[in-house]
Amino acid sequence: MFITDIRKEFYEVVANQRVALLVASDIDALCACKIIQALFHCDQVQYTLIPVTAWQDLGTAFLEHKEQFKYFVLINCGANVDLLEMLQPDDDSVFFICDTHRPVDVVNVYNDSQIKLLIKQDDDLGVPSYDDIFRDEEDEEGADSGNESEDGSEPSGKRRRFDEGAIERRIDRQRAKREWETRRREILFDYEQYEYHGTSAAVMFFELAWVLTKDTKDMLWWAIIGLTDQWVHDKITHMKYVTDIATMQRHVSRHNHRNEDEENSLSIDCMRISFEYDLRLTLYQHWSLYESIYNSCYTTCHFKLWTLNGQKKLQEFLADMGLPLKQVRQKFNSMDMTIKENLRDVIEESSNKYGMKDIRIQTFGVHFGFKNRFLAVDMVHATAALLESTEKDESNSDNFIKALDSLSRSNLERLHSGIDLAKKKLMAIQQTVASCICTNLILSQGPFLYCYLMEGTPDVKLFSRPMALTLLCKYLLKAFVSSTRNKRCKLLPLIMAAPKDLEKGTVIVLGIPPESETSDKKNFFGRAFEKAAESTSSRTLHDNFDTSIIELKTEDRSKFLDALITLLS
Amino acid sequence: MDASEVEFLAEKETVKIIPNFSLDKIYLIGGDLGPFNPGLPVDVPVWLALNLKQRQKCRIVPPAWMDVDKLEEMRDLERKEDTFTPVPSPYYMELTKLLLNLVMCLCSASDNIPKADEIRTLVKDIWDTRIAKLRLSADSFISQLEAHAKLDNLTLMEINTIRVFLLDSLNCLYKLRSNQHPGSSKGQFADF
Repeated sequence: MFITDIRKEFYEVVANQRVALLVASDIDALCACKIIQALFHCDQVQYTLIPVTAWQDLGTAFLEHKEQFKYFVLINCGANVDLLEMLQPDDDSVFFICDTHRPVDVVNVYNDSQIKLLIKQDDDLGVPSYDDIFRDEEDEEGADSGNESEDGSEPSGKRRRFDEGAIERRIDRQRAKREWETRRREILFDYEQYEYHGTSAAVMFFELAWVLTKDTKDMLWWAIIGLTDQWVHDKITHMKYVTDIATMQRHVSRHNHRNEDEENSLSIDCMRISFEYDLRLTLYQHWSLYESIYNSCYTTCHFKLWTLNGQKKLQEFLADMGLPLKQVRQKFNSMDMTIKENLRDVIEESSNKYGMKDIRIQTFGVHFGFKNRFLAVDMVHATAALLESTEKDESNSDNFIKALDSLSRSNLERLHSGIDLAKKKLMAIQQTVASCICTNLILSQGPFLYCYLMEGTPDVKLFSRPMALTLLCKYLLKAFVSSTRNKRCKLLPLIMAAPKDLEKGTVIVLGIPPESETSDKKNFFGRAFEKAAESTSSRTLHDNFDTSIIELKTEDRSKFLDALITLLS
Repeated sequence: MDASEVEFLAEKETVKIIPNFSLDKIYLIGGDLGPFNPGLPVDVPVWLALNLKQRQKCRIVPPAWMDVDKLEEMRDLERKEDTFTPVPSPYYMELTKLLLNLVMCLCSASDNIPKADEIRTLVKDIWDTRIAKLRLSADSFISQLEAHAKLDNLTLMEINTIRVFLLDSLNCLYKLRSNQHPGSSKGQFADF
């Protein structure tokens, strides 16, 4: 069931209890986790933090901890499957689920006792009504047996008429039941066909903190990072992003307004969050401007920087803005002040001439101390790189803890190491995209585009992780759409496969919806993959919380693809 | 003694806070802590004030001496005098660091200690002047081979910074001097 008053029905219930926090491995979940940890510290609530990466992980973690805990808080996992059936908990366990995955499973919505959803009900859910899906079986049987007993007591003369009447009624009832069941299947199919994402979990927990008046600037910053993560990894539509940014902007002005009363407001070391209408060049303040333009998806796809022509255009673009090459290749912090002053406006003007209308995006930046300025997008990339780092001897929970630490303000070295890893990741993505386009690795299979990364590709280890592969997939599709001349191919979705585990011989497969301006980011590949796997009995593992990402045995790849082609055409 | 031990001792000082919760009088081994009522100021030790502030349960009122004008006066007085002037509080350095850093970490603006940067600079100025005087007096103590010296108004933190160095260097000097006069009575003292 949906929770209406988050303070009374969630926080006050768990405040005196021991709670288990099961947190999924994405940045939004990490930010939500930091916020709820800070709230728990304020009120000295005992909790255990358990990072989970996939459904199997969730199941094992639950089995380990079900004896000790009654209350479980699940962050960014658990809403889109029938949780009670999967975990088989005791009757007194209560699950609080704050998950961005939609559609929410109908059993979770209509269960009144054990499952509480920390989701806003006006969040565009479209849940089918109760009567359309569930129906009491008892009334029908009672009516049937009543009729039969009536039949038995009637005198024989009228019996035949009554029998016919009873039989007709029974036939009618059965027909109505069949119709109801077909309608139910249709409704459920429509409801569960597309997978998409809702409001960020970090924003939900920030609103809880706000209701408790315990919100601090740190929590506001984490909520902003959680929201930006949804935008960077293309989980929400642009409209929703802009609306949520406006909400966050109200909170930011509220916090900043408090400081404006005193004339010498804050110490320089205090954290200041500001609204920025900043450039879409990833990590440009921590890199050189040239590298940032070269490795950002938006500029690369517009200039087509994998071609010689594109590189010439880039030089023209820089010359048009009057930026000397020596300056542009310097670290951003060491660029001339005269150039840095009007940089954003100069770049916007020039990019309008070159057809890049949206080079600027609404976002937030933070600023504390004399040296430390970060944009929300920078933090997302740095933390994602730490979370999915593929160094040896690092287990998933080590990476999780490192990424979680990098979000605190006191761990700046970790954050900087994250930024370095993110730079390497972005360069790897750029090179892979360039090589895929130049060697025509993207094949049109009819209803979709397909690309397979061979085992020997440089940095292919990076792409065995879901978030990195999603970024690569997105960039690749945008680059393909801008470079191909085939109009039909521009509207196709993309499926990408990359080797995941060499010992077990598996590949990770993921599908993203087609690229368009007004895309609603609804992904139908989850169901498609399930059906294709069933029909060919391929050995697949539908383990990820996002149903559009699966693991598949390398040998079954071709028959799986053929099944998909037949399914989707 | 470690600097962190001195900071630990500094946390026993009392400071005024304004809680936002209510609690009856609590009886601790070190003493009683008065009943807490929201909005009414109460004196508590610094360690409790810091913990409550981190849990967003109180507002800390900066001590009376933590004010820009007063600190400016003290700094000017310190610079004029040759000897050590009385300090605002026996733990002024530690309290400044604890209270101002905490405010920086939490940044809830309503209970900001105003002009934190200037206060930090002024306290550092006072500290620098005093340490310079201490070094000067230690230097003259050694070069003039005095037997004892008296310094008023030193705080524990300042003593702690110079203690190890001064004692070790005095021991070394003693060893060197006693080796110069091998037969003297001072040689009967234990060798360090």
